[in-house]
Amino acid sequence: MSAPAHSRSASTPSTPHAGHKGGLPSVYAKLIMAATGAIFAIFVLVHMIGNLKIYMGAEAFNSYAHWLRMAFYPVLPYEGLLWIMRVVLSVCLVAHVYCALLLRRRGATARGRWKRRGLGLDVFAARTMMVTGVVLLLFIVFHILDLTLGMSPAGPDGFQHATHEASYAYSNLVASFNRLPVALFYILAMGCLALHLAHGVVSAVVDFGVGVRPRVFSALAGLGLLFGLVIAIGNITIPVAVLTGVLQ
Amino acid sequence: MKLTIEVWRQEDTTTKGRFVTYQVDDATPEMSLPELLDRLNDQLVTAGEEPIAFDTDCREGICGTCGITVNGVPHGKVPNTPTCRQNLRSYDDGEHLKLEPFRAASFPVVRDLVVDRSALDRVIASGGYVSVDAGTAPDADTRQIPFKVAEQALDFSACIGCGACIAACPNGAAHLFAGALLSHMSTLPQGKPERSKRARGVVATTEEEFGPCSVYAECVEVCPAGIPISAISAVNREAARAAIRRNKDN
Amino acid sequence: MNTFRTIGSRIRSVVGSSEGVPRPQQDSPDPAAPQEEAATSAPESTGNAKKPLSGPAALKRQGPKGTQGFVTYADEPLNGNVPTGDPLTAWSRRKLDYKLVSPLNRRKFKVIVVGTGLAGAGCAAALGELGYNVVSYTFHDAARRAHSVAAQGGINSARAKKVDNDSLERFVKDTVKGGDFRAREADCFRLGEESVRVIDHMDAIGAPFAREYGGELRTRSFGGVQVSRTYYTRGQTGQQLQVAAARALQRQVGLGTVDLRTHREVLDLVVDDGRAKGVVVRDLYTGEIEAETAHAVVLCTGGYGNVYFRSTLAHNSNVTAAWRAHRRGAYFASPSYIQFHPTALPVSSHWQSKTTLMSESLRNDGRIWVPKAPGDDRPANQIPEEERDYYLERKYPSYGNLSPRDISSRAAREQIEAGHGVGPLRNSVYLDFRDAIGRLGKKTIEERYGNLFEMYFDATGEDPYTEPMRIAPGAHFAMGGLWSDYDMMTSIEGLFVGGEAGWGYHGANRLGANSLLSACVDGWFTLPYSVPNFLANHLGEAPLPADHPAVERTVAEVRERTDRLLSIGGTKGADHFHRALGDVLYSGCGVARTEAGLKNALKEIRALREEFWRDLRIPGSGRELNQELERAGRIADYLEMAELMCLDALDRDESCGAHFREEHQTPDGEALRDDDDWCFVSAWEHTPGKGAHPGKPVRHAEPLDFQAVPLQTRNYA
Repeated sequence: MSAPAHSRSASTPSTPHAGHKGGLPSVYAKLIMAATGAIFAIFVLVHMIGNLKIYMGAEAFNSYAHWLRMAFYPVLPYEGLLWIMRVVLSVCLVAHVYCALLLRRRGATARGRWKRRGLGLDVFAARTMMVTGVVLLLFIVFHILDLTLGMSPAGPDGFQHATHEASYAYSNLVASFNRLPVALFYILAMGCLALHLAHGVVSAVVDFGVGVRPRVFSALAGLGLLFGLVIAIGNITIPVAVLTGVLQ
Repeated sequence: MKLTIEVWRQEDTTTKGRFVTYQVDDATPEMSLPELLDRLNDQLVTAGEEPIAFDTDCREGICGTCGITVNGVPHGKVPNTPTCRQNLRSYDDGEHLKLEPFRAASFPVVRDLVVDRSALDRVIASGGYVSVDAGTAPDADTRQIPFKVAEQALDFSACIGCGACIAACPNGAAHLFAGALLSHMSTLPQGKPERSKRARGVVATTEEEFGPCSVYAECVEVCPAGIPISAISAVNREAARAAIRRNKDN
Repeated sequence: MNTFRTIGSRIRSVVGSSEGVPRPQQDSPDPAAPQEEAATSAPESTGNAKKPLSGPAALKRQGPKGTQGFVTYADEPLNGNVPTGDPLTAWSRRKLDYKLVSPLNRRKFKVIVVGTGLAGAGCAAALGELGYNVVSYTFHDAARRAHSVAAQGGINSARAKKVDNDSLERFVKDTVKGGDFRAREADCFRLGEESVRVIDHMDAIGAPFAREYGGELRTRSFGGVQVSRTYYTRGQTGQQLQVAAARALQRQVGLGTVDLRTHREVLDLVVDDGRAKGVVVRDLYTGEIEAETAHAVVLCTGGYGNVYFRSTLAHNSNVTAAWRAHRRGAYFASPSYIQFHPTALPVSSHWQSKTTLMSESLRNDGRIWVPKAPGDDRPANQIPEEERDYYLERKYPSYGNLSPRDISSRAAREQIEAGHGVGPLRNSVYLDFRDAIGRLGKKTIEERYGNLFEMYFDATGEDPYTEPMRIAPGAHFAMGGLWSDYDMMTSIEGLFVGGEAGWGYHGANRLGANSLLSACVDGWFTLPYSVPNFLANHLGEAPLPADHPAVERTVAEVRERTDRLLSIGGTKGADHFHRALGDVLYSGCGVARTEAGLKNALKEIRALREEFWRDLRIPGSGRELNQELERAGRIADYLEMAELMCLDALDRDESCGAHFREEHQTPDGEALRDDDDWCFVSAWEHTPGKGAHPGKPVRHAEPLDFQAVPLQTRNYA
């Protein structure tokens, strides 16, 4: 005996499944972004601290750059540490960008045709993550061509490659920043980094599943911005110093 | 007070919609938004035009039925207040109001300002419950729950299921809704035996129906139940916890 | 059933048990003496009546002569199928009598449950858990939105954990007494007995009840009760219970036992061979009319207080499903018993769409008063203490501001009518927190009532921390509803009723926090026992096929009615008639009623109904989402039901609970019950009429037997 399933209407609006089925789950994508972002955040912090050694003079700066190549030698081969970092950072970058694009596309699909408009300044950093991210990506490419590989046109004239015995990071840097457009692009990129970090820190903490109360959340947002600004300003002082002739 | 009201009119899910402008001349400050629409609809019916379809029920902010986007903001100008408790007091005489449905791909427009929010229920049906049959529960007093734990659970279970969090999210994400559900259930001892199983189901359906969270935190600006921001982190936390616990239900 | 007993012994037991207890005053003038000669029944009524009882029927009491033209009377008493003997053990004995359906056979039975409130969601979920094949309907877009969600205060339970001398017996006593002895006592025992499991179950499925610091469940006290038995979750008890029940329902949806169909409104009942066999629904999104058949139908469609237009109910709450069932043969019990909530927001403007409820719990700390001088125009804070009349504390010193709802509402109305009303329209009284704030501090008051104060501010723009709230009685809860026997089955076989749509527990006045309870008890712990008992007799039967003449006929009738509404082509929208009907009812069949007022209301309702069917305008068509059409259909039914409300109020020539007939009051203005002649529940049978008007209804009467709580005059002084 089966009940008649008569006149069961299928005519009501069927909700499109606006999310995604299959593929990398978004929660994992977010966790990957948070983890890789955290690695980047630590990296830029360390990088900035290293950068600031430039104020200790050319010798100190160059020997720091040299040490980076020689670190843990002979346990690690020449440039061993650098290559480990390069590989890790590259993998992180690919994962970070891939997840960003994936989530971006999913978000746009789930939102649909009618975008949210007129949001306040408090979400400026969040809304510009893609813009700042693209600028940072371009900057990374440029930065490597400029000061790591010294390839023109990115690299400055007279770029000197490091040798097993010495590094010429100081002069390379000063030469590079003496080009105004490069200095300005660098400053712009650091601004983007500040914004990217401001939201990135908050986002990473939430994505790691840390349940923050509303007040802590606000504090966290401030902390993120502060962190971004510290790194950006620390770095920005260098091109400014070069342009103003403090560093020669 | 006189108000110019631009309203989204759309015949059904498949037809294209458009904004139509109306005028209400005798609005009063104590009118709620649904009452303003009542007034306008009375005008329209008297004029022989089709009234504006909009969802409304309890009109005291608890059933979660109502939901209109006012000048781009889900529910309206006053933060954390449902449409039915938004009064014209917060608008000026002569002001221009733009009324739209809740906007999200997961909420297709049924007609005018009415949207289909059944995706929310599909999230609940995929695990957002406690599997206890009628009559089988132990004495509730034998399960002691600290005062603050009950209060904390209540902060999350206050969700009225209106969907404003999704409409407010630039990504159309439902993390505030799903996270409130998971937080409520994982806070209480009653929800613990199937905590991981629930997280797997709820998170999977949330991903199928809604977008990813980018922590814009726009949801908490509009949520009429005041669900705390910590709810959204519960989605990732519970999902990760469930993944680590592999085949376990709790 | 094996539980019949003679009505004679029941009546004798009432008389016997009431000796020596205070009786209502007998010396007041009684306008209508018993009229033996008028006790003729309408011939068509006996066919549908339950098996008649033998013995001397003492139920010949009828309304005043004026009612005679409007109604007719059945001469056989109605059998409520109540277990005989000690009411304390009635439910367990009855459960033992119930037939069972084996787990393997349950899938073969299909049950339609209409409504997804606490009763409907509970019933559908519980039947689904047991393994029945359930189809659940709601007109909302989601199960969770049902109006149970709006209950604020709490849910009573006779757990009697504290040493404040509560017990099951005291719970029953409070409920029966609160209902002014017009409830079915045995039902109240069931309500109290199952209330224990309700709390356990709702807690287990995730409702975060308020807890003591020691971790145990916390309680508070409510109107009409001197013990602390109300369990709660802040001011959102209804929401938490409703959402928990809806989640339990969703669980069954996920498991495939319940087929939940949202945005579908039940517009008629398929009755074949005297049995309810299905429903006809309209898909509100597409306008499609669909039929569904089943072995049994359960209506948990809520109350009809919204008939007053401005009420504490949700905008879309309606009587349609219940009324359509009534038109198909289900008796309607006590339609005039409407509770007016004393703490609703007053009406202050034409477009105000509801009198929002301010939880009764406010009366725990707020003091109700009016200026002593009528017409006092001064702002509340400028009226000195000695010129304020705290009339509830004055008149009812032991219960004071926590007096039961009907008494508080009537007292407020009395003050307003006497010119003491406050506010711009002089239609409200003050609820003042000044003393409580002074005593406990603003912080404590904010903790207790913060969200309510906010809601009040949103609605009125007045700050209750600095000036008193203004409140007024607003239509709230329907104690009346579809009549059912002890097993929750209506007078149509196979049609069950639960929750506010039914009638059993609350008599003529419901106690605060008993409505969530009655809905939960019906849904989770009564219908899942009694519906299978009915199903067990029908193993092997198939539901009606879609093309059965009874199904096709009902579908055609629904289509015809919808088309008729759409084709009137008048000038006024449905809400116009709803507002007008509300005004008629508030003045004619409101907090207090008179014969003349009721008769006038009847005349106005008939005129309004004629105008409705002549001058209604519904733009658009029936093949789409058309909210005007939805409203028009509901208001058409309200316009019929309002007449029955007034007839019932006119017929019931006594005052009891919320039904206050001005002709019957003590010298102090209290309700004067007449137990000799009216100790029964009126259950009305529909008869077809001419044109837009229903025919003369037939009144059936089920005598009420009070064994454990002797009849006595309610006294809250």
